[in-house]
Amino acid sequence: MVKTTLLGPSKSSFLAAVLCCGLASAQSSLSVASKIVASANGFLSSLDEGQRSKVLFEFNDAAQRMRWSNLPTTMVPRAGLKMGDLSEPQRKAVMELLAATLSKRGYEKVLAIVEGDEALKVASGGRGSMFGRDLFYISILGKPSVKDPWMLQFGGHHLALNITIVGLDGILTPSLTAAQPAKYTVDGKTVRPLGAENDKAFALINALDEGQRKQAILNYKVADLVLGPGQDGKTIQPEGIKSSAMNASQQAMLLELVGEWAGIVNEQAAAARMAEIKANLSATWFAWSGPTTNGMPAYYRIQGPTVVIEYAPQPLGGDPTMHIHTIYRDPTNDYGKKSVGH
Amino acid sequence: MSALLALSLVGGAAAHRLDEYLQATLIGVTRDGIDVEIHLTPGVAMLPVLMAVIDQDRDGRISSGEERAYVGRVAREVELRVDGVLAPLSLIESNFPTLEAMREGLGTIGIKLRTARSGHKLRFENRHLPQVSAYLVNCLAAPSDGLVVRRQTRDEAQRSIELEYSFAAGAVPGPRAAWFALGPFWPAAMGMLLVARMAVLIYRAKHDKRASKSSRVESL
Repeated sequence: MVKTTLLGPSKSSFLAAVLCCGLASAQSSLSVASKIVASANGFLSSLDEGQRSKVLFEFNDAAQRMRWSNLPTTMVPRAGLKMGDLSEPQRKAVMELLAATLSKRGYEKVLAIVEGDEALKVASGGRGSMFGRDLFYISILGKPSVKDPWMLQFGGHHLALNITIVGLDGILTPSLTAAQPAKYTVDGKTVRPLGAENDKAFALINALDEGQRKQAILNYKVADLVLGPGQDGKTIQPEGIKSSAMNASQQAMLLELVGEWAGIVNEQAAAARMAEIKANLSATWFAWSGPTTNGMPAYYRIQGPTVVIEYAPQPLGGDPTMHIHTIYRDPTNDYGKKSVGH
Repeated sequence: MSALLALSLVGGAAAHRLDEYLQATLIGVTRDGIDVEIHLTPGVAMLPVLMAVIDQDRDGRISSGEERAYVGRVAREVELRVDGVLAPLSLIESNFPTLEAMREGLGTIGIKLRTARSGHKLRFENRHLPQVSAYLVNCLAAPSDGLVVRRQTRDEAQRSIELEYSFAAGAVPGPRAAWFALGPFWPAAMGMLLVARMAVLIYRAKHDKRASKSSRVESL
């Protein structure tokens, strides 16, 4: 859906980069890890010395690792290189790197979020200077390598991808995806950056029987993410219904929903991650707060031994279903701490 | 591209909080005390209301004295009870964002409180500015400390939370926590413990008798 929309005729340089990089080329005969490293080195070689010094950080730079937010970059400054400061070939190289690192659907999701922010800029008129596709940042921690750990960060308002790459592993946690507007149109086609996250969750809550729903639905309102930006290293007590109380079909729906986050990284890394989450599925919880009719604003949380996902419509003066924040964490391996030993 | 974008519904929606005061609390329960971490984020439209509370001399700024006074007020307007008894909360640290950040609805005031009390049941309630606030309250998981939360209940607005908890692996649970832990098997478990205790007492009595005989022989 997003692909057909975003790859339509456009003068946008951002979208032009998408056209150039070509989603089909994301998977090639090269190993995924080699392709990611080659793309990263291709991007770095397109930069001048000054730009390289801005985009590169030590792998153990804890401050940079945690410098991400859902808020606009004018409010919470990011470090690295700003997309708006890059030349056309350099922007194209960034997009190639993202396409190599992410899955096709993950890449499309990222584009849809970025384009949504551009839409918000247009809609916000005079206050739009804090939004838009030019205000997204890229940074690299460590040296891109197929062997040694390194990290790729890409984000801005409503997006924070923190991808720690350790050999064949691509660890996407913690990452934040969000959308405002959560629904917009391009060339007459509807784009919903987090539409699947919404629809699959409503399908799951409605697939539960009355007794299961009673367990899953919290008796209180949840106004925002609990473990959003700035809450690294914290885990809360799980609530809701445990997956072990679901039937096989419901468990499959839960896994499918988790895949909307776990599947943002390339297929190889996503498969390993999904296997890990599946192995812990019986100890994974699903909690819901709000109405169960699709189209209404509802918060949900998925929490297991190695995964925390929150989806929170934002009641910030407008329609909450049009402004969504989500967070994706692994309490055992955020920033690859288990794999790298931070 | 801009001309091609037709937003279904954006209106004047902002990227940040507008007309509510978000008060998010995380409660950390440990064997030797309870930490209460409160994050307060005023929406743009809320700032005048909050300034009326904080800026006591009405000079449009927040002095360090006014910060301290406000933090003190928040601390007084939250209540923590441990096993039914009011637990005094001491201020550990606090921080204020810039006024500019708060004007944008992006600044968060952080307050960390602590009590040295720990038990098996706690109740936390936040009574600070209820007319204009949205609340979150959660208990942190601490599996490494053996924390086991058996039940948590909140009111609909999340102004209050009640928790029943104990500590596994080496913790000495009180009678109520043990009851919850053993569930329907607790009478049988208690019976087994009594039988074991009696066996130990009988063994000791016999052993003491033998030891006393033996020491008498040695003293002869």
